[in-house]
Formats: sequence, structure tokens, C-alpha cells
Amino acid sequence: MTAAAPVRPGVSTTTKLLLILVAGAAVAVALGVYANEHTPTEQGPYRLFFSGTIQLKVWFAAAALVLAGVQLLLGVRLYGWINIPRQAPAWLGDAHRLIGTTAFAITLPVAYSCLWALGFQSTNTRVLLHGIFGCAFYGAFVVKVLGVRTKGLPSWVIPIAGGLVFAMLVGLFVTGSVWFFTSSSAPRPLF
Amino acid sequence: MFARIVNAVELLALAGVVVFVIFLFANEPGSAGRTGGPGAAGGPVASGAQLFQASCASCHGANGEGGIGPKLAGGVVITDFPYEPNQIAFVAKGRDGMPAFAGTLSPQELKQVVNYTRTSLGR
Repeated sequence: MTAAAPVRPGVSTTTKLLLILVAGAAVAVALGVYANEHTPTEQGPYRLFFSGTIQLKVWFAAAALVLAGVQLLLGVRLYGWINIPRQAPAWLGDAHRLIGTTAFAITLPVAYSCLWALGFQSTNTRVLLHGIFGCAFYGAFVVKVLGVRTKGLPSWVIPIAGGLVFAMLVGLFVTGSVWFFTSSSAPRPLF
Repeated sequence: MFARIVNAVELLALAGVVVFVIFLFANEPGSAGRTGGPGAAGGPVASGAQLFQASCASCHGANGEGGIGPKLAGGVVITDFPYEPNQIAFVAKGRDGMPAFAGTLSPQELKQVVNYTRTSLGR
């Protein structure tokens, strides 16, 4: 008879969760440090068919928020918290991923412009909150993606991480796009 | 099939993240990214200061502290105009009580005076 091989204990759920949270926090902090240390160029790196970079940013952010809202609804349906449609189609999960990925991709040129051209500012509460929401958004996104890819996590991790991602995006939209749409001192035109 | 498309889009997004990070560091502006700085002698900032005193100070205050026109100092102008080109366009075209300076200042002078408000009035 041979002796049984020693059983190597797997990584505990708490450790996995902690590592994921650390990774998310590291991304958020790294972005904040870059934005703070980098010398803002104050230049508009691109504008596509918009009249300026800031117009591109506010509309891209609006598009990302709409897509994220749709993704949130699909996620709620995936978890069975709503029953519309009554029979969930087989492609629902893939559609959830596709829409979320697209929303995330749309935020990248916006974030690049913020980080590269403007940096981290604290001249008033709005811009300070905008910077914090921006860094936290990507941190929460990392937590969500890693949470999806990691097996054995509690079932509440993904909904909370997804909700946080969406909440940060709403915060970004309110402190950026809503300011642009409503403030008399914001640059014009709208598009 | 749909799942493959989603996988491809995710890979593209990942590539986008890589490009994003590379550009953040590779596209770092050199010293030419900004013209002068607070207290710089001569050059665009000095000219900007003269232009500011001649064209702007009567409304915005000698130090941009505000008067008939809104305050510019202390980073206010950066907050209102995160992008320099937007501020240049605003000064050139004017709006509401702000006169248009496109007829009195050359494009170079517009850039100089705007640069002065952004770099020398306190951030």
C-alpha cells in the first residue's frame, strides 16, 4: 500500500475575495497616482465628428451609461430577480457580456482624455468627486471581472460589484455630462 | 457563434486597455507641451500678462480676482474650461457679457493671454 498524497488545501474564499479587492484597489490607486503625478496637457487629443474633445467625452459617457443600464437589467434577469421575458433566451448571458464590454470600451477614450489632458484636480467638489468616481469605476470594474472569472465566490459578490460599477458610472455622468448639459459656464456647442 | 463574437469583442477591449496604458506613458508631453510657466521671464507668458492687463484686467481684475467679469484666478478658469482650445474659442467669439476678441487679438495673442490665465493666475 502506498501512503495517500497529502491534500493541499485550496485557496480559501476569503483569500480569493481579498486578492480581488486588492487588485481592484491597486488599479484605482494607480490611476489616481498617474493622474496626480502626470503633467496635464490640457489638449484635446481627439474629437472624431464632435466639435471638441469635451463634447465627445460627455456623449461617449452618456452612451456608456445607457449600455451599462441595459447590462444591469440583463444581469438582473440573469439572476432571476425579474421575470421579463418569462423565458430567458439562451443568448442572454452572452448579450450581457457583449454590452458590458462595449460600454467599458467606450469609456476608455474618455478616461484617456481625462487622465492625459486634465489629470487629478481638486479645484472644487465636482471635479474632485469626478476624479474619485473615475478611479473607483475602474477599480470596481476589475473587481467585477475578476469576480466573474473566479470560481467559488459567494453569490452576492458579482451583483454588488456590478452595482458598484454602475453607481460609479452614474457618479461620473452626473459630475461630468450633467454638468456639461446644465452649467452655463460649460463649453458649447452641445455636440 | 454569438459567444465567439463576444469573445472577440472582449479580446479587442483587452487590446484597447493595453493601448490605453501604453499611450498614457508613451505620449507623455515634453517641455514643449506647455509654454512657459508662472513667473517665467519673457516669452509667451510675459506677453500674455501684458495682453491680460490691457484687455482683460478691467473686467476680471488685475490678478484675475473678478470684478464686472467672473473670477478667473485660483483654478476657476481651468474648472470652467478644462480644455485650452475651448477657452480660446470662447475668448475669440465671446458670449453674453463677454466681448469677442477675435477682431482685436491675433490667434497667437489669444493663445498667449489664455495661456497666461491658466498658468499664472494660480491653480
